[in-house]
Amino acid sequence: MEPNENLAFDALSDRVRRRILAVLGEHGELSVGDIAGRIDAVGRTTVSSHLRVLRTSGLVRERRDGRNRFYSLDVDGAVRDAFVFLQSILHQAVAGAAATDPSTAEPAGTDGERDTG
Amino acid sequence: MQTTTVAAERTVARTPHEVFALFGTSRGAGWVFGARCDEVRTGAPVSLRLPLGEQGRHDVDVLGRLCRVVPAAVIDIEHTQPWRGRLTLRFTPAGPRGTRVQARAHVPAEGVEWLLHRRGIPLPEPPDDGAIRLGVIATSSGPGAVYSLSAELMAELAVDEINADGGIAGHPVRLLPADDATDAEQAAAEAERMVRLGCRAVFVNSTSASFDAVRRVLAGRGVLVVHTVLNEGGGVSPTAIRFGERPHAQLEALVAPTMATTGARRWFLVGEGYVWSYGAHAAAQRAIARAGGEVAGEALSPLGTSDFSATIDAVRRSGADLVLSTLVGADEVAFERQSEAAGLRESTRTVSLALEESTLAHIGPRAGNGLRTALGYFQDNPVAGNAELVGRYRAAFGTWAPAITALSETVYEAIHQYARVLHRDPDGSAAGHGQALMRSRDRAGGDVVGARDLLRPQLYVAEGRPSGLQVVGEAAPTR
Repeated sequence: MEPNENLAFDALSDRVRRRILAVLGEHGELSVGDIAGRIDAVGRTTVSSHLRVLRTSGLVRERRDGRNRFYSLDVDGAVRDAFVFLQSILHQAVAGAAATDPSTAEPAGTDGERDTG
Repeated sequence: MQTTTVAAERTVARTPHEVFALFGTSRGAGWVFGARCDEVRTGAPVSLRLPLGEQGRHDVDVLGRLCRVVPAAVIDIEHTQPWRGRLTLRFTPAGPRGTRVQARAHVPAEGVEWLLHRRGIPLPEPPDDGAIRLGVIATSSGPGAVYSLSAELMAELAVDEINADGGIAGHPVRLLPADDATDAEQAAAEAERMVRLGCRAVFVNSTSASFDAVRRVLAGRGVLVVHTVLNEGGGVSPTAIRFGERPHAQLEALVAPTMATTGARRWFLVGEGYVWSYGAHAAAQRAIARAGGEVAGEALSPLGTSDFSATIDAVRRSGADLVLSTLVGADEVAFERQSEAAGLRESTRTVSLALEESTLAHIGPRAGNGLRTALGYFQDNPVAGNAELVGRYRAAFGTWAPAITALSETVYEAIHQYARVLHRDPDGSAAGHGQALMRSRDRAGGDVVGARDLLRPQLYVAEGRPSGLQVVGEAAPTR
């Protein structure tokens, strides 16, 4: 796996990646060629490398059919990631109550909880 | 609506009083305890920097208010940006000198959607349900988020009222909101989606840069675009119209009167490096010359600037005794706070064009004291119809919902005006509807909230006080 540039919310800064996701959102499952054909001024190689990053970050899933590969949005994976992210920033939040204290108690009891209602 | 709760806790070797006292101070670490909050009391505005990415490149402000504070026990935050949600902190004793700190975030479905969209996952495409769709592009993140706190709520209120009244020509109305992240390209992408989903009109409650980008996307596609915040004018067409205050009228109400009351005459202009400040400063040059003043200097910075020390030095060196700020949102908050901290207020008086209730609240009572502005609407201005509007808004969104502002009130009225036009002429063209909106200003009977003249709004002058923006006068009607 590549280092975690995925968890950075950098889609806004990368227009091509955002464009790929928008195309997949609009058309469902597509091949690399189909995607490249729908994005101006970007070749297959560039699209492929962006797809690799998007797949690593869990935003896109890949399906192989013979020699062809098809890509679609992995919304469930992205939702899971969003909760992992929210959980991590809440841990950071409570850690802030201890960070400036040298005599911090052991960081136990950090079990998260998630419920829907 | 489905809301998910995410929680974390930790036991620390401090008393609950000590932990509570960390909140909002420089000793508090992290995005929650390091919050910007001038006073830890119920009702106080709070700003938390949510770490969205590494190196702070994509950080986003959570903007809200403390809705419940119990010293040493509870801090609850109700926020509207970047999504509407709630964050609660609980402190309970754990042993003789320890505290169990619990943090809980209540995240509605829209919050999860916002996070996904931020990463590039497209917003859902709702199936056609026969409703008339209206797009609203407002700002939930980036430097513009602070002046946009109540924009989406007010757009929602307008649509709810239209639907309660039977919809438009027998059809229900559905609002499609989007966050432009204070970014023109993002605004363009959201406008593209709105066209695809069949929106009849798109209301842009954001910067002139976003309006311009949306106008280009929508040109020739049969969709009306309406800018609903104060702006420098220009860039209009039969299908692109602009409502809200104009700098020349604001300056007329502010420049000469401020010079007369202070006896000062040397102005320094502080603004953003884009079309809004260019237009506003050109109008300022003219207004200042007419009033017999002079311009001692000007500083323009990119939207999103957070360090204004060079600007403040330049103001000081120029010998100016008056400052005109056309900064917006978080930039204006940072500039006013830093000006006050640097002692600039001892030698200058400041007039600000985009200073509404939310921006002033985040500037805080100390740095906001004495700032002057002129806008068409203030939440505390007792003009006809306002008490009723504030009552309906509070009933819909609660006590802690952010103030109604000139910006959010304008999008509310614009949606109502558009609905009336569309109701009369449901099959008309976007250009026809635009023309009808441009004509709809001929009204008698003075300034009434709910029927304001959005093209040439009656302006009121207000001053920052510890209690908020206090209306101190009414501008002469504009020509």
